[in-house]
Amino acid sequence: MIDVKNLHKSFGALQVLRGIDLHVDRGDVVSIIGPSGSGKSTLLRSINLLETATSGEIWVDSKLITRPDPSLHPGENLQEITKAHYQDPYALRRKVGMVFQHFNLFPHKTVLENMIYAPVTVLKLPREQAVEKARALLESVGMLEKIDVYPGTLSGGQTQRVAIARALAMEPDVMLFDEPTSALDPEMVKEVLDVIKRLAGSGMTMLLVTHEMGFAREVSDRICFLDEGRLIEDAPPEIFFSTPKSERARIFLDKVL
Amino acid sequence: MQLDFSIIFNYIPEFVSALGVTLKVTVCSLLLGLVFSVPLSLFKISGIKPLEWFAALYTSIFRGVPLMAQVFMMYFGVPLVLPVKFTAFTAGTLVFSMNSAAYISESMRGGIRAIDKGQYEASMALGVRYGAMMKDIILPQAIKSVMPSLVNEFISLLKNTTLIASIGLVDILRVGQLIQSRTYRAFEPFFAISVFYYVLVMALSFLGKLLERWVNKSDRR
Ligand SMILES: Nc1ncnc2c1ncn2[C@@H]1O[C@H](COP(=O)(O)OP(=O)(O)O)[C@@H](O)[C@H]1O
Ligand SMILES: [Mg+2]
Repeated sequence: MIDVKNLHKSFGALQVLRGIDLHVDRGDVVSIIGPSGSGKSTLLRSINLLETATSGEIWVDSKLITRPDPSLHPGENLQEITKAHYQDPYALRRKVGMVFQHFNLFPHKTVLENMIYAPVTVLKLPREQAVEKARALLESVGMLEKIDVYPGTLSGGQTQRVAIARALAMEPDVMLFDEPTSALDPEMVKEVLDVIKRLAGSGMTMLLVTHEMGFAREVSDRICFLDEGRLIEDAPPEIFFSTPKSERARIFLDKVL
Repeated sequence: MQLDFSIIFNYIPEFVSALGVTLKVTVCSLLLGLVFSVPLSLFKISGIKPLEWFAALYTSIFRGVPLMAQVFMMYFGVPLVLPVKFTAFTAGTLVFSMNSAAYISESMRGGIRAIDKGQYEASMALGVRYGAMMKDIILPQAIKSVMPSLVNEFISLLKNTTLIASIGLVDILRVGQLIQSRTYRAFEPFFAISVFYYVLVMALSFLGKLLERWVNKSDRR
């Protein structure tokens, strides 16, 4: 489903990602954890092209979404590879949903308008159909009764649940979550995690950046530990949390557990 | 000198049609100015140097040249070098709207800048294209912060439109001059006109406040 190959990303002189290899199968739930500034957001954002990779490749659903990296195709014709496999950002983003730490609902649109805007504008879904789908999704995240209000009137937890439903309205194949509960008051974390957990249980392919270790352990098939732009552990949660291989991960876990 | 305001009442029909001219020029200029200001502000934030230079040059020209000179240039000057012919109304409206665009685009630029980058990211992540994102997500939010300056612009336009009397349009000010030349009275007509503009501007300020509140309805808790 997702294949990240030797991904590098620099902002000017700052090397943020230093050669990431990551493979995510359809239906996998993978949590990415690591210290602040280690490049977790950058990795996630590269996968739906909110950041452009410096080198390396990203494949989503057997389509190449970055430029081909010559070092990964010695002796091959790069143009041919592009022609055969390249997919433009718009087609990609329709398949990849993203949920942000700060929600990013459109404040000038009601909950319903937030929900149907992209399905109608991007997918060209008839309005009635989009509304119907929006209602069903809002129902499933427990937000149907707020369908006609503006986001400014919602609590953080409610806002994030709507944001998740909005991403799902595009019927993505993959969902990316970037610290979806980090901006929430503690009492609202659970309502959002419950929604994410249900989604994980439904077979959605998910990549989740989180500081909620207990939650990561519970829902993930694998934990990826990122440190200074390198993916230094990639293991099932039982193994990662009990016997981390690296000193770095041990120190990190000591701090957060 | 004996003041006699009753002479004003003999000119009611002239005042009414002049008010129509004033309002027509003002409203058309504001709306056109708003329309022109959109591409202009998008140029200003485009990051594409030639577009940014064009927009900056445009703005500085309309700010740097006296308005009266611009009006004369458009009405008398331009038709001599270009194959166009303007009525006084068209020339005036064009100059005023191009002026407003320069002014409005500045606050629009500020309004766009002030929008959280999360709004762009959420739009992109949903697969929305640049044009639709600007039209549906970014500009509607930017307009809110433009609202106060839009009201200001409306008011200064209303006052500046008195300049079109100089190229022969009969606006409210021109009616005053007319009364003066016919009756040799100056205080009454110009006093009446001053009151008239004052009331109009106050009414507009009030309407502006209402409009602002209406536009901001989504922020209400
Ligand atoms: N657009 C950017 N320009 C410059 N530096 C950036 C940008 N985005 C992120 N960074 C830097 O990249 C590093 C990694 O950021 P990030 O991926 O957000 O880390 P994390 O999500 O793990 O906390 C940080 O040092 C951050 O300051
Ligand atoms: Mg981050």
